Amino acid sequence: MATLQSTAPPEAAPRPPVVRRKRTVRQRLRHDWPLLLLALPVVAHLMVFHYWPSAWNIIAFMDYSPYRPFWENPFVGVAWFGRLFNDPYFTPALLNTLKFAALNLLCMFPLSIVLALAMNSIISIKVRSAFQSVVYLPHFFSWVLVVTVFVQVLGADGLVSNWLLDAGGERLNFTSNPDSFLLLVWMQWAWKDAGWGMIIFLAALASINPSLYEAAASDGANRWRRMWHITLPGIRPVIILLLILQIGGILSVGFEQYQLQRQAVGYQATEVLDTYVYYQSIVGNQGESFGTAAGLFKGVIGLILILVANNIAHRFGEQGIYQKS
Amino acid sequence: MQSPTPSTPFKRRSLFKGTALGALGAAGLPFAAACSDIESNNGSTQATEGFDFLPTHEDWPLPVQPDLVGEPPNHPSAFTSYPEPVQAITDLPSGTGSYELTVPCWGTPPAQDDPYFAAVSEAWGGTKVTLRQGDGMTYGDTAVQWVKADEYGDGIQLFNYMTGSFSNFQETVVNSFYDLTEIVQGDIAERWPLLAALPTDSWGQAVWSKDPDDPDTAGIYAIPMTYSGGQGNGILARTDLLEAEGLAMPTTVEELLEVSRAWTTDSRWAFVGLDWFIGQWFGLGGIDGWNWDPEQKKMVNNIERPEFTELMEFRRTLWDEGLMHPDAPTGTLDAAAMQEAGQVMFTQDNLVRWDDFNQKVKRGEAEGAVAPLPPLAAKGRTPIVTVSPGIAGWTFLNKSLSKEQVEEILDVANWCAAPYGTTERQLLEYGVEGTHFDFGADGNPVFSTPGVEIVKNPVNYKAFAQVDTFLTGDPDMVADRFEYNASIQQYIVEPPFQGIRIEAPAAAKAAGTTLWDQQQDIAFGRAELSSIPEMVETYLDNGGEEARQYYTDAYKAVYGEE
Repeated sequence: MATLQSTAPPEAAPRPPVVRRKRTVRQRLRHDWPLLLLALPVVAHLMVFHYWPSAWNIIAFMDYSPYRPFWENPFVGVAWFGRLFNDPYFTPALLNTLKFAALNLLCMFPLSIVLALAMNSIISIKVRSAFQSVVYLPHFFSWVLVVTVFVQVLGADGLVSNWLLDAGGERLNFTSNPDSFLLLVWMQWAWKDAGWGMIIFLAALASINPSLYEAAASDGANRWRRMWHITLPGIRPVIILLLILQIGGILSVGFEQYQLQRQAVGYQATEVLDTYVYYQSIVGNQGESFGTAAGLFKGVIGLILILVANNIAHRFGEQGIYQKS
Repeated sequence: MQSPTPSTPFKRRSLFKGTALGALGAAGLPFAAACSDIESNNGSTQATEGFDFLPTHEDWPLPVQPDLVGEPPNHPSAFTSYPEPVQAITDLPSGTGSYELTVPCWGTPPAQDDPYFAAVSEAWGGTKVTLRQGDGMTYGDTAVQWVKADEYGDGIQLFNYMTGSFSNFQETVVNSFYDLTEIVQGDIAERWPLLAALPTDSWGQAVWSKDPDDPDTAGIYAIPMTYSGGQGNGILARTDLLEAEGLAMPTTVEELLEVSRAWTTDSRWAFVGLDWFIGQWFGLGGIDGWNWDPEQKKMVNNIERPEFTELMEFRRTLWDEGLMHPDAPTGTLDAAAMQEAGQVMFTQDNLVRWDDFNQKVKRGEAEGAVAPLPPLAAKGRTPIVTVSPGIAGWTFLNKSLSKEQVEEILDVANWCAAPYGTTERQLLEYGVEGTHFDFGADGNPVFSTPGVEIVKNPVNYKAFAQVDTFLTGDPDMVADRFEYNASIQQYIVEPPFQGIRIEAPAAAKAAGTTLWDQQQDIAFGRAELSSIPEMVETYLDNGGEEARQYYTDAYKAVYGEE
């Protein structure tokens, strides 16, 4: 029979503080060069494709021409922003953008979570694989294809319209109706992107310890209780992180989807900031400075929103996009 | 996720604050500097005639005479039989250079190793000109980036309408392309007799000024494309289907409406698109919609005239009565295929398709017949046919080329300028006999399938200027087209700004883009006809009045104070 023995360690003499020898830059380079080498392509990519182009935002304050030496381009202060805000077509484009962003946030974001939860509850591997393929493959279709499919099926001369005509009914007026464009956009998003959005939540779900479910089940928690008390808290940090990132990109709702349907539905229903910049700056020939001013406006609003959302997340005890130090 | 320790020296929050402060600081810099008003993209006006530095014109006698003689450029002469070709250039230059020329391509780009390219290269003296094909649908927009980045090779071909994609085309031209003035001014007939025979107006339309306000800074910055005129576009009708239904070809807008109503059912429609061409049916022409009104003594835009409301009422009627295909607003329907299938009666198209359709019928690939509607007008008015004689576009050369290289490319352009009835044109236009074409029973060249894919359809060296152009091809088609051209001559209206090239201010261009969208809204029932006055006011307040002043100044500069 074993006897209980004290597991306390024998008293030891206090250890002297570790004094790290300060290493020179050369020593650190010699030690860390594999890590630095790994990071180099990413840093180069960021410098070339992000930071360097960002520096060119300064042309939003210039009357810029690519054919003049850079410093000979006259500064015009906020004149381009003045032109932007005074343009009668800017505010409707901004409001449309916010409308689509809000719809995306309220209806698409939860849909991806619901799909992930539904997927997670499927036990059969075959059914699970089939479900996953069906819901996320449309993400790889181009917007041209998505819009064409919708016109072919729900257009005024599409499949459904022709069924209705054969049955003595009337043609659908859905794909070229500005009043129902919001619903059309949501349907296209749901088909194309909800499955893709689900994947990241699935990864988060996989990280939840299964023993928690077993313990909860043995304590009598039903399916809904387990979801409410284990699943959702388990993926909450990911939900918050993605929510903040989405809020940051709220003014970037896309371009192709709206541009492709602009003729069918009209510019008033489809004009968002990105199409506005294209039509006013490139098609309308207002030049590089005007387009940059509009882009900078989007960027600044995005930065402010992301900082505010992150701050709110911290106030509610969440981690946000970075840990509060 | 591991929490950073309190001793973490790098605090991301601090980074954000630092970044924000940095950004604000950077943004503040410009304000600290002296600010001025926006002066770029305010438009430019360029005279295209009256220069003393253009090539001296010297006639180049045609080796063969056309069978039908018209009144070029709006009524070109025609060949109803294929002439025995003669060699235009006997003293061939020897070229050794290799060049890359960017050109638009609609459809599949032809393989560059096809015998056509080798044969052409050998025929003009050995210079190798490789074509860099860009997607024709997006060519105008992407060409802007290629030119600004100097990634268009040694030259680029741009058609007239593509220049609208450039925010300041005048500035682009004088800064990016080779100034040919010194090379081509004066007497060039000895080395380039065919280029010297191009109409002087062609060369005039290749002139830009470094400073638009200073005529002394003008120069020749491009090799002009072919000079032509007449009606290029029209409304094609399925004449066989009209006949089968006992319907007559309409001769007025009102008759067109009646025919459309009689034809349309649940499964076939009169139109799939009808917009940019039909302003002239209501007497609306001009440049960018602007015309000088001699009674009011001011520049008036089409949208300010009562006829514009008539036009919009007509378009709205087509939509409201279901005469237009219900998916027409998508702009994605293949009108030509639908007309071929008999689903659509009328298409708005380039008149080249008249020939294409009838050729298909002759080859047994399609059934039926199409023909263009005659000039129409509403309410008993006399029809007008708006034409814009001039060059189709330009070949610009890279300013980094040397003088010798430019001269070598001009040798090639001179060879390509050979007109119909020459061996040079036969090779350019039809390719290699036996490979790309064969002579048919009537003696006319008939394309083979590779001939259509490699030579006929793509834009290639054919886009360089020709000394003279004619109606050619299928004799029946040539005769029909010649007759049609003759029948519309009495209605032709020349544009109001001949001899001057106007690039509108950017604000006006941007306002024009939205104006077109608003017209589409009304035409497709998304906005009411009653919104026209508001639409006009919005346009005028946001660049329209600026454009009016600009066009007024340009008009007075040409025609004086009236």
